[in-house]
Amino acid sequence: MRAFLDTAAILQAMLPLPAGGAQLKPTRPALPKEFVASRKRRRIVDAMTELSAEKGYGATKIADVVRRAGVARKTLYDNFGGKEEIFLAAVDAAIEESLDRVEAACAAAGDGWSDRVAAGLQTFLAYLAENPAAAKICLVEAISATPTSSARYREATQRFVDLLTRNAPSGAGASDTTAESLVGGVAWILHQQVRQGGTDRALDLTPQLLDFILFPYQGVAEPGSGTGRRK
Amino acid sequence: MERLPRGRHGLSPEFVAQNQRERLIAGLTGVLYEVGYQKTTVSLIGKRAAVSKSDFYKHFRSKDDCFFAAYEAAIERIRTQVVTACAGHEEAEWPLRVRGGISALLTFLAGDPAVASLSLVEGLRAGRGVYDRYQAAIESFIPNLRQGAPRAPDGARVPVATDEAVVGGIASLLGRRVLAGEAERIEELLPDVLEFALTPYLGTAEARRIISAG
Repeated sequence: MRAFLDTAAILQAMLPLPAGGAQLKPTRPALPKEFVASRKRRRIVDAMTELSAEKGYGATKIADVVRRAGVARKTLYDNFGGKEEIFLAAVDAAIEESLDRVEAACAAAGDGWSDRVAAGLQTFLAYLAENPAAAKICLVEAISATPTSSARYREATQRFVDLLTRNAPSGAGASDTTAESLVGGVAWILHQQVRQGGTDRALDLTPQLLDFILFPYQGVAEPGSGTGRRK
Repeated sequence: MERLPRGRHGLSPEFVAQNQRERLIAGLTGVLYEVGYQKTTVSLIGKRAAVSKSDFYKHFRSKDDCFFAAYEAAIERIRTQVVTACAGHEEAEWPLRVRGGISALLTFLAGDPAVASLSLVEGLRAGRGVYDRYQAAIESFIPNLRQGAPRAPDGARVPVATDEAVVGGIASLLGRRVLAGEAERIEELLPDVLEFALTPYLGTAEARRIISAG
């Protein structure tokens, strides 16, 4: 970001002066204030994501965040009440982004329930592999960092349960708790993977996890509405 | 847990100390269930256990120290229930052993909501130190499920992650119910939990047959 600003400033300085001796334009680029402010906010959140993924929420200090984000301490406190608020913003951002992608993938996958579930799972695992720091703070740190972050984790879990329930075969007679148990089981496996530092290894588990999710519904779904268990 | 008689009782100091320790652990478990971790204090634990504050500190360095001891004790009690129930069906086939273990688990948790809450809910939210214990506890149940588990109905090998996902999924479901204040009714989940545990190995139809054969 800083590099971009400087480049822009240099480019602007190199522009020919307006004819007629008009006033010099400011050498700083006139980026809208809101744009700069939101970029700074984003940098603070990203720094918190990286740092708490690297050393844990507990060990992350505001001073570290300020340094990593390259913002003034005052800017940080203008934007956030404190450390927990930044962490929650980071967790929320990752949850929203991953859920948006997963929901879009499910919707785009068409009418077959098993295709929708497969698309959703693959998209989620791909998100985790692409965003290892976000994966770590959501699937590991958030669980026990603070009481509020635990609650956010549970709320997010519930949204995945709802999503699976909506996309699984409807009225097929799977027990009411099936989606809850499945999401809890998958979260547990992913948690282990992320904790061992391998969000990309989670991707390798896609076929196993998919079977795990689909299988309980296949026995009770309409014949032919799903796919068979892979051999 | 009953407090010991006052005055001269002829009980050995070791016995008294052990009894006090157990009362403190039970005290913390009960107080925690009622007021939550933040509001649980050493003096509340002492009052509940009928143990003086100074005696508390003979056993534990801090509230956290007592909490960890209580956590380990809770897991140990649950383990004992499950292992005993599984051992009771040692000669029986795998599905019956699993049913025995899960049934014992739910019955025990329903009968002691405070222990259920400590083990399945507090372990998740009271900070990293406890969470590691929660994780180790969950993992310790995996061999009970894995041992003797059959191949999938179509002959395919059940993936290795399945045992872990089943155990983790059960812990998650039970924790959600306990958190919702439904610990006493947790036994009602027996058919669901059994179906969830057996289906990956036996298929839905066979799992349901075993469950309905009760």
